[in-house]
Amino acid sequence: MITTITIFIPLLGAILISLLRGDERTTRYAALGIAAVPLLLATYIYFAHGGNLSGAANLSQDLTWIAPLDIGYRVGLDGLGFGMFFLTALLTLIAVVASWDIRERLSTYFALLFVAQTGMLGVFASNDLVLFYIFFELTLIPMYLLVGIWGDENRRPAAIKFFIYTFLGSTAMLAGFLALGVLGGTFSIPELQGGGGLGTTAQIAIAAPILFGLLVKVPAVPLHNWLLDVYVSSPISTNVVLSGIMPKLGTFGIISIAIPLLPAGVAPFLPWIAALGVVNIIYGAFVAFLQPDLKALIAYSSIGTLGFILVGAAATNAVGYNGAVLQQVTHGIYSAMLFVIVGIIAAKTGTRQIAELGGLAARMPWATGFLALGAMAAMGLPFLAVFASEFMSIMGGYEAFPVQGALAALGIILSAMYFLYMLARVMFGPITNPAYESITDANPVEMAAITPLAALLLILGIFPALLIGIQRPAVEAVLAAIGGG
Amino acid sequence: MPVTGEAIVGLLPEIIATVFLFVVLLGGVFAGERNSGLVGALATLGALATFASAAVLLAVGFEGTFFGDSYAVDNFSLFFKLIVSGTAFFTVIAATRWAGTTGDAPEYMTLILSVVVGAMLLASMRDLFGLFLALEIATIPSYAMVAFDRSRRESAEGGMKYLVTGVIASSVLLYGLVLIYGVTGSANLTQVAEAFSGELTPVGLVGIGLMLSGFAFKLSAAPFHFWTPDAYQGAPTSAAAFLSVAPKAATFAVLLRILVEGLPGATTTWASILAVIAIITMFVGNLSALRQRNVRRMLAFSSVAHSGYILVAFAAIQGGGQQTGIQAVLIYSAAYAVMNLGAFFAIDLVGEDAKSFNGLFKTQPALALCMGVFMAALVGIPPFSGFFGKAWVILAGAQSGSILVYAAVGALVINSVISLPYYFGIVRNMFLEEPVSGGVARKDDGGVRFSVYALAILTTVFILFFGLLVTLTGASGLL
Repeated sequence: MITTITIFIPLLGAILISLLRGDERTTRYAALGIAAVPLLLATYIYFAHGGNLSGAANLSQDLTWIAPLDIGYRVGLDGLGFGMFFLTALLTLIAVVASWDIRERLSTYFALLFVAQTGMLGVFASNDLVLFYIFFELTLIPMYLLVGIWGDENRRPAAIKFFIYTFLGSTAMLAGFLALGVLGGTFSIPELQGGGGLGTTAQIAIAAPILFGLLVKVPAVPLHNWLLDVYVSSPISTNVVLSGIMPKLGTFGIISIAIPLLPAGVAPFLPWIAALGVVNIIYGAFVAFLQPDLKALIAYSSIGTLGFILVGAAATNAVGYNGAVLQQVTHGIYSAMLFVIVGIIAAKTGTRQIAELGGLAARMPWATGFLALGAMAAMGLPFLAVFASEFMSIMGGYEAFPVQGALAALGIILSAMYFLYMLARVMFGPITNPAYESITDANPVEMAAITPLAALLLILGIFPALLIGIQRPAVEAVLAAIGGG
Repeated sequence: MPVTGEAIVGLLPEIIATVFLFVVLLGGVFAGERNSGLVGALATLGALATFASAAVLLAVGFEGTFFGDSYAVDNFSLFFKLIVSGTAFFTVIAATRWAGTTGDAPEYMTLILSVVVGAMLLASMRDLFGLFLALEIATIPSYAMVAFDRSRRESAEGGMKYLVTGVIASSVLLYGLVLIYGVTGSANLTQVAEAFSGELTPVGLVGIGLMLSGFAFKLSAAPFHFWTPDAYQGAPTSAAAFLSVAPKAATFAVLLRILVEGLPGATTTWASILAVIAIITMFVGNLSALRQRNVRRMLAFSSVAHSGYILVAFAAIQGGGQQTGIQAVLIYSAAYAVMNLGAFFAIDLVGEDAKSFNGLFKTQPALALCMGVFMAALVGIPPFSGFFGKAWVILAGAQSGSILVYAAVGALVINSVISLPYYFGIVRNMFLEEPVSGGVARKDDGGVRFSVYALAILTTVFILFFGLLVTLTGASGLL
């Protein structure tokens, strides 16, 4: 019941805020209030039931919807989804705080953001394939409009490209889901674990479209064409959700549906998924290196580090799987944080071109300091959140696929290179543009959007067990169901 | 063939619609031609009463066959009667003001109610010649409806094209029915089924082929769809909206009944033919719609494409997909009725040119939201109605176990993606573009506005009634 309430509060909030007639200030406070509720509930769930998520009766619901086909309204939280469930609640709040660049039609902006939030929360809590799909697609139109209405001048082609790519993927995924549910006799995700009694050929035929749809969403590199334009064109607060949560709808689908439900069907693809992960890591790093635009650099870096999730998940061993589940969360934290900081820098200096920036550390010590912190986290430095998850993904990946695992490790070096190069050009050196002499550091509102994420990077860096502890039972259950180890 | 009391109860929706048909016509005479409001109110009441009677029959589980097994009242036919009369309800409300301006409101309303009577008869017919008669009762008034707008030349042109192709289609269909009758020696579907249980004769095959071609005309399935864009573009908007939904749904119903009850022995034959027609229809409809700048023509081609989607469900009625396939046709018809009707009415308020939708979200947010809902539903994005139609077609396809049907399902998936740019072209214009400078003169019509809002709500809350719909269609009475 708590889960259902948490999922649908944003939807209710979307309706309320679009009916609200108030000035900008009222709207912003109302949005903050609405966004705070799911976060409080998710925090409550963590402290009250974190030790035994799947055993907590008041977290799950199972209502019959279409009895003959065994489709139901089934929601519940487990270790695989809780981290992202929590992060969705947090990042939406951050997005509300970071929406200072949105001036026009503010209440519509928040309403769309909240509709998308219901979809995202729903995905991470769904225990039914049809419900998963409905929530999955519920995010599509709001994201399209968020980018399309409030993005920069290139927004229209970017938004429609995003829409067509991911709709193509998700429709293929739907066909796979429906075939799986029909042949397996139920649409319940927990009941289908282990293959639902399907033969290997059937599983492969079903796994192919599902994996395709999920990999487009991630996006894995040959299918990534839509991403850059959208990331670069969208407003900063949409970036927070777009990079922090949306890719995880894809990786979460791989981790909690494709692999556990179709183990025999996914098996032949696993080396290739790991290989795609490596391609993401290396391609992302090289292209990031070449970007003249700071935001594009972060976007490619974001694609790159998503690769670790694929490598770890494809390993299907305890270390790799735990790493992948954790990397989803840590990636979300650092990439959201970097996008917010880039937004602040771009707003103050009026440019995102790395070549035109320089020496900002002297004028914006806090902003650049946090930029450095986020970059160091992204490089995988110890005692910052990404370290544990990347390390585990690589270890697990190496154990299962030595070549892919070794190449993935190379990615850490590459990311260190381009991040340090970027920091050097943006932060240090003399101030190149006299106009920057007068710019100011991040204001309190901007700091409020960054500091929670920075704190989480440190906390999870020092105590990764806070999350690994609650996800481990779920990971072990999945590995037992698919007969791995 | 005695007319029993039970038969009268079973025929209540048709009787009520017929009575109101005359009441509207005579009411017009007595109230004078200027009083279109009264005529509209009477017609609305008629549609509502028809809907209510069908709903009551469905709720009490009324079932029976009458007139020598030639007329069946069952869940299946009642479901379609609800779609037809419900569609008529919204159409009549939306058409009242406009019909008044033509000065011939009673005639227009009478035509709508005649189509309703014909379409409802059609959904129940179990007799080859009875169904032909019912089909003509539904079709002949619709020619007049298309040509009704005398202020626009396109209306007459569209009506003429519709008439000529419609008459050809009817003759082809009749020829096919006669051949089937010749082979089986009976016009009753039960006896046709018995006669067709063995090997298919060449004449029987030709009969089935001609009949399917005739139906393909009526359902605007490719390659017999050419009349559709001209007829829909020329017709008054309320006529285009109504004809794209109500008689079409009833035609799907009767085709389903013929195939499932009359020709179960030839399932592989007709399912294969329909799978091929479906694939061609989806591609032709969507690829043609992509090129349209006129929203009305675009929706006409979109209706071609949606006929293709429904025909995939027909092709899936084999193997393990029988039950789900029939369900899919019913669910899709209901889902399509609300979203397509709404989209047409929204055009009536905004304009035919795609550009007239520019910036609608800024000037009329509620209307833009409604049109956005219809477009998303037509693409098949959840949680809107169209998604459930498509999902059930895919489900039936997955159960059918036929390679050809798998191909058709694959084509459906691809076509959903092809359709995205043209539907969302409208969404882009409404939400992302600026309003055309100087503004567009838009008419405001309370009746149309009511219908648009109500249909948008129905398209959205479809998800809440979906479980009920599945239960209802699960015991359709067919099979």
